[in-house]
Amino acid sequence: MDNFNRRRFLKCAAAGGLAYAFGRTPQAVSAATISSSAAFADYKALVCVFLFGGNDSFNMVVPRSAAEYGVYAASRQNLAIAQASLLPINSLVPDPNGALYGLHPSMSELATLFEQDEKCAIVANLGPLIEPTTKAQYQAKATHLPPQLFSHNDQQDQWHALKGEATLKSGWGGRIADALLAPGAATPLTQSLAVNLSLSGQTLFQAGVTSVPYTMGATGPVPFFGLEGADAYTLARRAAFERILSANHATVYERAYATVQQRALQGAARINDALASVRSPNAVPFATAFPTTPLGQQLKTVAELIATRDQLEVSRQIFFVAIGGFDTHDAQTQDQPQLLGNLSSCLAAFYRATVELGIAAGVTTFTQSDFGRTLTSNGDGTDHAWGGNQLVIGGAVAGRTLYGRYPLLQIDGPDDVGGGRMIPTTSSDQYAATLARWFGVADSALTSVAPHLGNFTAANLGFLQT
Amino acid sequence: MVLAAAFVVACGGGGHNDPAPVTPPPTQQPPPATISKADAYRFLNQATFGATAAEAQNVITLGYEAWIDQQLQRPASLELPHVQQVFATYPPGADFTKLHEDRVDIWLRHALHAPDQLRQRVAFALSQIMVISQSSALVGYPWGCASYYDMLTQNAFGNFRELMENVTLHPAMGVYLSMLGNQKPDVAHNIRPDENYARELMQLFTVGLVELNLDGSVKTDSAGQPIPTYDQDIVQGFAHVYTGWTYSGAPSFAAAIPTIANQIRPMQAYSEQHATGTKRMLSYAGAVSTIPAGQTPEQDLDAALDNIFNHPNVGPFIAQRLIQHLVTSNPSPQYVERIARKFNDDGAGKRGNLAAVIKAILLDAEARTAPASATAGKLKEPLLRLTQLWRAYDASSQSGKYNVQNITGLIGQGPLQAPSVFNFFSPFYAPPGEIANQGLVAPEMQVTTEYLSSLWTDYVFALAFCYTTMPVQGCPAVPPALQPDLVTIDASAERAMAANPQALVDAIADKLVGGPLSSTLSTEAKSMVERAPASETALRVAEALYLIASAPEVAQQR
Repeated sequence: MDNFNRRRFLKCAAAGGLAYAFGRTPQAVSAATISSSAAFADYKALVCVFLFGGNDSFNMVVPRSAAEYGVYAASRQNLAIAQASLLPINSLVPDPNGALYGLHPSMSELATLFEQDEKCAIVANLGPLIEPTTKAQYQAKATHLPPQLFSHNDQQDQWHALKGEATLKSGWGGRIADALLAPGAATPLTQSLAVNLSLSGQTLFQAGVTSVPYTMGATGPVPFFGLEGADAYTLARRAAFERILSANHATVYERAYATVQQRALQGAARINDALASVRSPNAVPFATAFPTTPLGQQLKTVAELIATRDQLEVSRQIFFVAIGGFDTHDAQTQDQPQLLGNLSSCLAAFYRATVELGIAAGVTTFTQSDFGRTLTSNGDGTDHAWGGNQLVIGGAVAGRTLYGRYPLLQIDGPDDVGGGRMIPTTSSDQYAATLARWFGVADSALTSVAPHLGNFTAANLGFLQT
Repeated sequence: MVLAAAFVVACGGGGHNDPAPVTPPPTQQPPPATISKADAYRFLNQATFGATAAEAQNVITLGYEAWIDQQLQRPASLELPHVQQVFATYPPGADFTKLHEDRVDIWLRHALHAPDQLRQRVAFALSQIMVISQSSALVGYPWGCASYYDMLTQNAFGNFRELMENVTLHPAMGVYLSMLGNQKPDVAHNIRPDENYARELMQLFTVGLVELNLDGSVKTDSAGQPIPTYDQDIVQGFAHVYTGWTYSGAPSFAAAIPTIANQIRPMQAYSEQHATGTKRMLSYAGAVSTIPAGQTPEQDLDAALDNIFNHPNVGPFIAQRLIQHLVTSNPSPQYVERIARKFNDDGAGKRGNLAAVIKAILLDAEARTAPASATAGKLKEPLLRLTQLWRAYDASSQSGKYNVQNITGLIGQGPLQAPSVFNFFSPFYAPPGEIANQGLVAPEMQVTTEYLSSLWTDYVFALAFCYTTMPVQGCPAVPPALQPDLVTIDASAERAMAANPQALVDAIADKLVGGPLSSTLSTEAKSMVERAPASETALRVAEALYLIASAPEVAQQR
């Protein structure tokens, strides 16, 4: 019987991940449904690497000059990294007081990227702020502060949304997409595939006011086994499935569920077809080997997606990847080498892959994390704090430079609000605005991305060449 | 789509060996005159891991309250004995982290077949409020994880204050949120007590970050801003309370090491590492907001847990969380207030009576009235979608196991497998669009990404076409090694109806939603059935089951 090719659709049927895997039929209905065109002549991607839990980044970028290391070691006691083991880095912009810094000994790939490639920058002591804040203002409660400092989800939301005291439901990645897609934008973006793509679950960071992100797995979307054949029988099933989704649903929950399924159905085949084109053995677009860790897998998929940018007809993409484990209340000394070593090798591999793809100057990777951690110890770990150091990597990065003011790591010192919690000396809004501006958001639209930008002197931290 | 009592998204049929000892209902009020099958299905999807025809009949016979009373008496089905039994078969040196798979197996067996369904469902809710996860150092503590879950099951109908204490002193929680091994200050070395458990016990398990009204709404100050329930000093006060505790039975704090035995026993205090100074607690009317210096670790702990337990936020906080897990994502403030009052006083002057709270949640008019609102009910989370489908179709394997080796990889959720103490989804999660715009929430939507919805749809496809007692011809062969554990469903009853497409669709609807489907879903399913040749009975069943079981209206809990 021609109108139902049972054998073929069942080739991709079973498993669903239960026990044994299946490929999907090669001829899929896919990109045909959506046409796409992009107004930007160039391609740019922002890659957000979120370190869930709160990275102890004052052990990631550590003072190594004698006086500053002495202060550091006195504060950090049994959690201090040995001075001799630090990987020296030398900023092209010397510290006015002669301070020198080093990276955690597990981060050799990143040290090379910083020192030799000059494609890595460090932004010191970043964190959510509503306005510039001194210790005296903090203690006198004479300044507006992000609510619920030191709480994981609240401070993640601050990093994702830059919401300050407002109850924003959108994130700054989503708002960048909104700004670029706005009909009145200077260079209106018209690509049909979502600007924001997550490889690590839903994130407020990517939720726009108008734009909608798309979420896939660490290796890409999952094909719909029952719906992707091109035979008449499968097409009929798909049509029935789609009519069920687009029916009038009784509740807001059903509608939300149906909307996600619709987006999944539209995106999965299209993205998978593109990925398949760079995953066949004779078409692999880069030779760089990625670490076989969850972050390595996510970043490898991002590199593969970037390699398919022409096929997907996209000119602006914001990727979200993430790993957890940074909430080192316990066993920090044992866990940190692995956490930071993995980060270093994954970030470096990703950069190398973008060089191979010839797109390094169009891809900027940056880290974010809930908060920094206390300089004091709870015995074998650390607790929730505030400011922390972040990394920016890419061909457009004005690298080998430490941006912003590295704080004085002194317990009860001028930067400490108690227990070794550093008041940020640069705001997340400034960081976001710098990235957004490079990405193509007009200066006039930057405050829609970073609402508190006007409270700070520098709207551009300068770590990206435009 | 029909919005009537008869239209209920639920699962049913295929009742499986639940004992039904019909005791005379000791009710204060008589059961409602009539409970329809659809009513019973809706109730059972709130109170169990999925309605079945047999259990629905029980509810109809007993009435809601007597059914609940019967459930309240049922002893807890436990996980630890199973995990221990499996471990006894391990050769020396075997990888015991695999015991987590057996823990998931016994969890699924309980979800499918345990007679104490309500207790298990409440424990599942509690496991997503007072979260521990094997995705952490606890991967090395499968006994501790099973024991922790059993503790939740055993306390599900107990007093909340005791639950708090048992959670606090369980070594699995101790490892997860690092109260275990928490030491007193050592100023010379910049060491101060660990704040992890101090913070999360308040933020996530009991009072939350901001002051609440009795109806769960947020109190605001004169400037319209929420009022924090605690500050950093209070976190530090509690952090000092929780010092000195580690594994029981050791010669000293420093000498305590984990064993199979001590990870299932409450932690013990060792006074040499307990901070003895005064400690700041929560402030509220009637609170003793300072713990005096010089008390024992046990005295400090009692005082601290009393201080939290009596905070006025706990009632509305727990009411809202439990309602969201059992009944609806967006309860009315009045509903929350009624439950919070029950938490504050069970009617006999007792605070924190969870049995009374659960009963009130399920018997409340807002839970029992057939929904007419577009915000009623909630989205089913992945595990409940799975157990409800499996219960409706009497899923089983040849080995008797539910050996889903990577359940989070399969559907995006697994028991005690949350990515962090913030659970799989936040009670405040609002997907962008009409839900966020209306100020509503849909927590389960946080685990309903494009990726996870296609995973689930594919699993339904595999189940409908291949993992049944009558796979469609052409399904790939299951490797022999996997055959004994392959979980299949029994759709033989539907196969007998394959010649009559409408009857087939109605039969599936009866099992999955306890009543009719929306007209679109019914029509589309019927037309796909008709497209398959009448001789292909297995295919006809699969087509209908796939479209119906993956549809949005089946993902909805009414």
